[in-house]
Amino acid sequence: MADQELIYRITRVIYDRLGATADENAVEQLVTELYRAIEPSIIGNGRKQSQSTTTAGSSFGETIENGSSDRIIISVFGVDHPGIVAGVAEILSEAQCSIIDINQTVVQGKFAMVIIADATRAQASVTDLKDRLRSEGEKLGVHIYAQREDLFNAMHRI
Amino acid sequence: MEYSQAEILQTVRMTEMEHLDIRTVTLGLSLRDCATDSIETTAQRVREKIERTAGKLVSTVNAIGDEIGIRVANKRIAVTPVSILTEGARGNPIDLGRAIDQSAGVVGVDFVGGYSALVHKGFTRNESSFLDSIPEALSSTERLCGSVNAATTRAGINMDAVARVGRLIKDAAERTRDRGGLACAKFVCFANAVEDNPFMAGAFHGIGEPEAVLNVGVSGPGVVNHAVQHADKNMPLHELAELIKKLSFKLARAGELVGREAARRLGIPFGIIDLSLAPTPVVGDSVANIIEAMGFERAGTHGTTAALALLTDAVKKGGAMASNSVGGMSGAFIPVSEDAGMIEAAQVGALSLDKLEAWTSVCSVGIDMVAVPGSTSAETIAAIIADEMAIGVMNNKTTAVRIIPVPGREVGEMVEYGGLLGSAPIMAVNRFSSDQFIRRGGRIPAPVQSLRN
Repeated sequence: MADQELIYRITRVIYDRLGATADENAVEQLVTELYRAIEPSIIGNGRKQSQSTTTAGSSFGETIENGSSDRIIISVFGVDHPGIVAGVAEILSEAQCSIIDINQTVVQGKFAMVIIADATRAQASVTDLKDRLRSEGEKLGVHIYAQREDLFNAMHRI
Repeated sequence: MEYSQAEILQTVRMTEMEHLDIRTVTLGLSLRDCATDSIETTAQRVREKIERTAGKLVSTVNAIGDEIGIRVANKRIAVTPVSILTEGARGNPIDLGRAIDQSAGVVGVDFVGGYSALVHKGFTRNESSFLDSIPEALSSTERLCGSVNAATTRAGINMDAVARVGRLIKDAAERTRDRGGLACAKFVCFANAVEDNPFMAGAFHGIGEPEAVLNVGVSGPGVVNHAVQHADKNMPLHELAELIKKLSFKLARAGELVGREAARRLGIPFGIIDLSLAPTPVVGDSVANIIEAMGFERAGTHGTTAALALLTDAVKKGGAMASNSVGGMSGAFIPVSEDAGMIEAAQVGALSLDKLEAWTSVCSVGIDMVAVPGSTSAETIAAIIADEMAIGVMNNKTTAVRIIPVPGREVGEMVEYGGLLGSAPIMAVNRFSSDQFIRRGGRIPAPVQSLRN
């Protein structure tokens, strides 16, 4: 069953950003796609979040609070050149991992990207995925590190 | 994003560049149910039990480390003190030691601890002969480690045991003469030994411990070193302590994550996390360098005991906040041969045996992986141990000695052990004799716990 409150919030965010004149059909499509993308992480491991949550930050409930073992944080560092994002994204796509969040910058030719990916539906094991990322990193001439999200949660959240 | 770029970068830097690793996941395993009246039968049962329980330890822990993205450097096993298993049994305890050593090889762990005896108050008849078997057991096996608990705050110091340990260390060194006295690197003499220590060579599965338990030793001198190096040179010490405390929190949390996951997958209860700064011979992964970064020309000079006190206390505070299962040694290790900074300090004459002894009062294991001339007498070694035991007993803390009288070597030379054990400069001992004191034997009574000055 769809989480109506979450859908409402996603819709609101899109309208806030695009303005009230945004094309209604396009917004609806975007909301549906976004919801589908994040749905596995809400229902992941059978831990559906409770409806009573009120703040936006905790809307992923327990999954985020303890960090998820199904999510991977992929950090990519190196010298910028075309095709790095595409190369990493392709591997994730092949492995059936969806990208939950992505942050990429280039400062003085130095490329840095962090991706949070959901591996709930991944066909391959985390180890396999890491191997693929590692060899892709060698091909692209950048360092790619993949670590489970719960490590970051353990280290940086009290 | 749920984590800031800085947080993600810090974790990646720690695990990939500053050698943050889980130093050891140690399976504590009770072998008491394997004891029979024949050492041969006991050995057979011990083999079966170790291979059954620890069969998947190495592969499971490696897989977890790979997934989470933090290296688990060592996988080890600690067993019930072997002297307890051989009580009332016919046969040679060394056979049991060899069986444990072989099983450790079969399951693929690098060390197995527990060829040990707890004799802080006195010996049983069996323990007395068991002590004699330690040099041969350690020199004829590859992975087996042993220890003797010779003192506790409640019992005082068993000076007969201390004297015998002095002799057995000499014997063990002589038996491994061709390897620089390597057998001594696998032996520790304790005061107030802890039952859940995951670190070698002193790990054993204490008699108050459950059937099986997973204990985790976290390390990370490299991480702390980097932070102290890059901190403002004029940062007041209480702020430096705060900085170390926060890092230590993060290290402990990473360790607990791995430990709990391993416990879950192996179906073995999680025990404790031991947050000790344990150096490795890798450059930068050094406790001495942390001390030096606090503002000293070399580790070992005046003021470094205070610096080490600050360091160990901050590490403990951060760890205690991070986990409610902190145990083991939890402090800082200062093994000379395993720490590039310590080796340098000893070579230039900044670090002496006396300073290491002073440091013992504020960290866990004092004289650790210290090489001394092969000509050092058993009595002098026993006297060095007695001093360390006294610091532990009087201050209600664990102390230990791992000392190697390297046969045929003199002060100024180096001895190479390779791998994690590193290489050690031969350090000078006091040339005046302690023989008569050691020959007295007997027991130093337990100290009074009030009137503490």
